[in-house]
Amino acid sequence: MNATSTLAAALPDAVHQSQQAFREVLNALSRPGQVCNVGPALPGVALGGAMARLLLSLTDDETPVWWQQDDAPSQHWLRFHTGAPVTTLPELASFAVVRANQDSLNLNAFAAGTATSPEFSTTVLIELPALHGGAPTQGRGPGIKDSCQLDLAGLPVGFWAQWQANHAAFPQGVDIIFTCGDRCLGLPRTTRVQRLERV
Amino acid sequence: MTSDSTSHTFLQRPAWLAVLTRATQPQLEAAYAAHTDLLAGQPLQQVRPPEVAMLMLRGRVGGTGNAFNLGEATVVRCAVRLGHGPLGVAYTLGRNKRQAELAALFDALLQDPLQHDALQRTLIAPLAQSQAAARARRQQDVADSKVEFFTFVRGEA
Repeated sequence: MNATSTLAAALPDAVHQSQQAFREVLNALSRPGQVCNVGPALPGVALGGAMARLLLSLTDDETPVWWQQDDAPSQHWLRFHTGAPVTTLPELASFAVVRANQDSLNLNAFAAGTATSPEFSTTVLIELPALHGGAPTQGRGPGIKDSCQLDLAGLPVGFWAQWQANHAAFPQGVDIIFTCGDRCLGLPRTTRVQRLERV
Repeated sequence: MTSDSTSHTFLQRPAWLAVLTRATQPQLEAAYAAHTDLLAGQPLQQVRPPEVAMLMLRGRVGGTGNAFNLGEATVVRCAVRLGHGPLGVAYTLGRNKRQAELAALFDALLQDPLQHDALQRTLIAPLAQSQAAARARRQQDVADSKVEFFTFVRGEA
């Protein structure tokens, strides 16, 4: 009863706005490192605009969502609007929502797909404090002309070592979408990332 | 909410939802016009705007055997909230969005302890009565045309 009395609305114009969000995430994953604007935050929802809109656009009743932190209002909200079940097992999740305290992030725990069906992997949505201002790194791979500069802020310690292992497992592995407020940035499993020395 | 059992017992929420979902749009509009004072100053938020979809109806002939797909029905569902009050929901057959919205609105109002008793008396009770009467009439009509099959014993005996 308590949860329903705080339940927030979903996208005001579900068809067009979820198509826009889908277009943006398609751009983000096909042009890794490029920042895409998904849309502003939704009233009454305690998630960033990009995170909330992507969850509404991508999930449905066949895509279990794993939440790093218990967030009953947001979980109830997503379940009410899209029917996406909550799972406590990351290896069963189609999508994973990661917000604060990312020090415990373990990419190996998620579904990596199989060699014949690499699409059955988890897409990890990570909300960062900022998409810029962190340690500089350089990304290369499909969708990137020559190379791109990444300086994501607030990543957990040892993230890039985990990412290297994830990239090496190609065609298996997880894809990541970083979000911050209204914006998102894609990091598909095809992207190689090297650390740059600070100048 | 319904602890007052001395005079009469009110319908519980599943029952009043069933009554509201069977109410016609003119009935709901009339009730809406009569109760506009209840809504005064409270913003109506569509938590889930009315949306039309198909439902698969499944059933068993005679209540036995395996369930099979009987056919599809169009349904409108809607969820609204008045101000910061409780969430009202409605699922109605057909494609009438306004009807679903009004039904959800009255569900929200009925969950408000301040409005509950009055609405039960002025809205739900008459609707339930007329729906029960219509159902009884229909059952009577059908019963009149019921044919009893029986066979006389024939033969050499």
